[in-house]
Amino acid sequence: MDVNQYLGIFLDESREHLENLNTQIMNLEQNPEDADTINEIFRAAHSLKGMAGTMGYKRMQNLTHDMENVFTEIRNGSLKVNSNLIDILFQCLDALDEYTNNIQETSDEGTNDNKPLIEQLNAFLKEGKSDAQMEEQKKEAKEEAPKAAEGNGRSWEQITLGDPEKHVIATAKEQGKQAYGLTIRIQETCILKAARAFLVYKAVEEKAEIIVCNPSAQDIEDEKFDLEFSLIVISDQSLDEIIKAAENVSEIASVVGDVINIDTSVKDEPEEKPAAVAGKPETKPATAPQNNAPAKQQADKKTGKPVVNRTVRVDIEKLDVLMNLVSELIIAKNSLVSASSTEGATGAGFNEQIEYLESVTTNLHESVMKVRMVPIESVVSKFPRMIRELSKKLDKKMELYMTGEETELDRTVVDEIGDPLMHLLRNSADHGLESAEVRAQRGKPEVGSIFLDAYQDGNNVVIEVRDDGNGIDTEAVKQKAIERGVITPEQAESMNEKDIIGLLFHAGFSTSTKVTDVSGRGVGLDVVKSKIESLSGEVEVKSKLGEGSTWIIRLPLTLAIIQALMVIVGGEKYAISLGSIQTIEDINPAEIKLVGNNEVIKLRGNVIPLVRLSKELDIESQKSPEENMVVVIVKKGEKLAGLVVDELIGQQEIVIKSLGKYINKCKIISGATILGDGEVALILDANALI
Amino acid sequence: MDQLKTVETTAVAEEAAQYIVVRLGEEQYGIDIRYVDNIVRMQHITRVPKVAPYIKGVINLRGEVIPVMSVRLKMDLPEDVEAKSTRIIILKLEQHGTIGIIVDEVKEVVTLTTDCIEKMAYDGNENKSHFISGIGKDGEELISLLDLNSVLLEK
Repeated sequence: MDVNQYLGIFLDESREHLENLNTQIMNLEQNPEDADTINEIFRAAHSLKGMAGTMGYKRMQNLTHDMENVFTEIRNGSLKVNSNLIDILFQCLDALDEYTNNIQETSDEGTNDNKPLIEQLNAFLKEGKSDAQMEEQKKEAKEEAPKAAEGNGRSWEQITLGDPEKHVIATAKEQGKQAYGLTIRIQETCILKAARAFLVYKAVEEKAEIIVCNPSAQDIEDEKFDLEFSLIVISDQSLDEIIKAAENVSEIASVVGDVINIDTSVKDEPEEKPAAVAGKPETKPATAPQNNAPAKQQADKKTGKPVVNRTVRVDIEKLDVLMNLVSELIIAKNSLVSASSTEGATGAGFNEQIEYLESVTTNLHESVMKVRMVPIESVVSKFPRMIRELSKKLDKKMELYMTGEETELDRTVVDEIGDPLMHLLRNSADHGLESAEVRAQRGKPEVGSIFLDAYQDGNNVVIEVRDDGNGIDTEAVKQKAIERGVITPEQAESMNEKDIIGLLFHAGFSTSTKVTDVSGRGVGLDVVKSKIESLSGEVEVKSKLGEGSTWIIRLPLTLAIIQALMVIVGGEKYAISLGSIQTIEDINPAEIKLVGNNEVIKLRGNVIPLVRLSKELDIESQKSPEENMVVVIVKKGEKLAGLVVDELIGQQEIVIKSLGKYINKCKIISGATILGDGEVALILDANALI
Repeated sequence: MDQLKTVETTAVAEEAAQYIVVRLGEEQYGIDIRYVDNIVRMQHITRVPKVAPYIKGVINLRGEVIPVMSVRLKMDLPEDVEAKSTRIIILKLEQHGTIGIIVDEVKEVVTLTTDCIEKMAYDGNENKSHFISGIGKDGEELISLLDLNSVLLEK
């Protein structure tokens, strides 16, 4: 029996439960009396414990078990929630997180027992528990015991022992061992019965030799049994110990056992002896599969690769839509085939089919993208807890307000966005928010506020981190930059506010004079910037001294396929993402004005700088300078620019391909795409041109 | 088993290696066959602006966009003249990824044993000797063996 096949599910669900616990425990601190929250926590902890047990992760199970005990007391009202307790619970969650990570890497939970944590938990339990309640519990336990016994037969008695088995038992007795019959009953709610049975089997095997198993080991493995199974074992240990070992496995309703006495007369007959010898090998098939399984697991461990791939959970409805679209695609293909084989394929029918095909592929693309989308909730849900901890560490009062957790982004982006956001939040908490005294002086509320807002804006998802703290002190930044040698004092003179704020993203720059373990190592913001740029997003800062600052992260909604405008420059085809295009204008060259050395045009009251793409792309324009120009107006945030192109081809859906690591120096090209005729066209990065 | 295999291949590599013989101008060059992924006919190459002159652009190889470089320009030889025999050899290297190089002609595959290969004496006068790892003798013919890593390395 190999539990590895459940590993993926286990990891996914554990993560989910851990996340849930994190949020709920945060809730609990705010509303210690809320019964729903406590129940939810209890359920999550319980499932976690059960799952860990099923998979045989003892340490994880033990820790969750003790946590569960604490939650039980909280639920009964005999233990009061306080800040210390919450801290320890969070530490427990971290420990559990570590176990899960270990399991993902090596399929083993690691060797950390987390004894101190368990002891602390137990200490809380002792404090909270009054003697009266102890007694009550005992009573309950007593009541439960007989109930359990009633429900369980002693079905091992029904196993008929063959002569060979009898002999084995007899010889064992001669050696001073005892034979026991055991019947193990698994809880009705148990989902992975086979896994449980296997664990019991393993536990018992450590203490005793299993000679008979009913149903057979193979059937148990295939889950071909009801809730009960029976074992006949021989061991030199006491019955209690074996039963205890079996009961240690969770979700086991009961283990009943007794000593087996068989007619010893058998062994007096000498002619039976050869049978006994023959009987011994017969016991092996029962134990052999069990021996195999751990060996296999061991082998798996040795390979050392992360055992589980990343997964996305997909709503079955989304899959149904996909399936429908694929069948439509096949129909469309078939109609095209038949349309092309009939005479006069150039007719309207052909075009109609192509239009149909187009609408199917567009829908298909949308649906596939939707499947890849996950809400950012999974990332941001850990932040309230982080802020709580920071609040303690920094001794500042602060509160995190989040909106738009349901905003969806591509899974790959969501996985990457966590760290940059964490940096920004820490930054706001540490550098942004002032100490309580300063806040009081400035007439701000004592508790600082940090906001995390996410929302969709056209083809982008915007995530804002905002605080009502001090804002960015540009003078301090300037001084620091000069001190660090990032800029010269002369340069500093000519810099405007925006440039100075941009310095914050410079590598090796940190304004906090104190280096704390929260932030201030100067590796934060430049990492944030490069990370977000690697996701083809951008960061922007708005700040007002004394009032707070806002960090705006803009990320593309999808990465792989975009709508683009195809243009021709100097005989070459280029694609411009439709998302960044505002309008397309026909401009008379006489309208161009010169500001400084730059060409600009005036359009509906806006002065827009012109970018001659032919110049940027090192190619000769094929249009004469007197002709009217085609100008594509693109925008980046608030800024506009006009790209001068030779000709427009039209709108097209394109698949973005990377240019590979060999060509990465060209900043204005963000990728390439393959056109219908097999040619490669480059994608212009409008953002880099502005 | 896997270990055994790698031992075997390295053993073979030490004794004899296969090279694809290509022509660049008048000279013959050998390319270690282990790095060759594919050989395709010359096709339209899309120019990429603002890159080194020896990078000719990108091509579409069965849906993948692959950069193509001119070994001639890299080695300071005269610019490629496209002819019927011109080919693009697609190489796959760990550190550079997939990349195509343009050659004038692909001639044959030869097997060279180690004692047929002479290490190149460094000749400071000739620029292209940077890119040669050794000279192979195949009968009467001399083949310069390309050191792909330094050919592909950006200057």
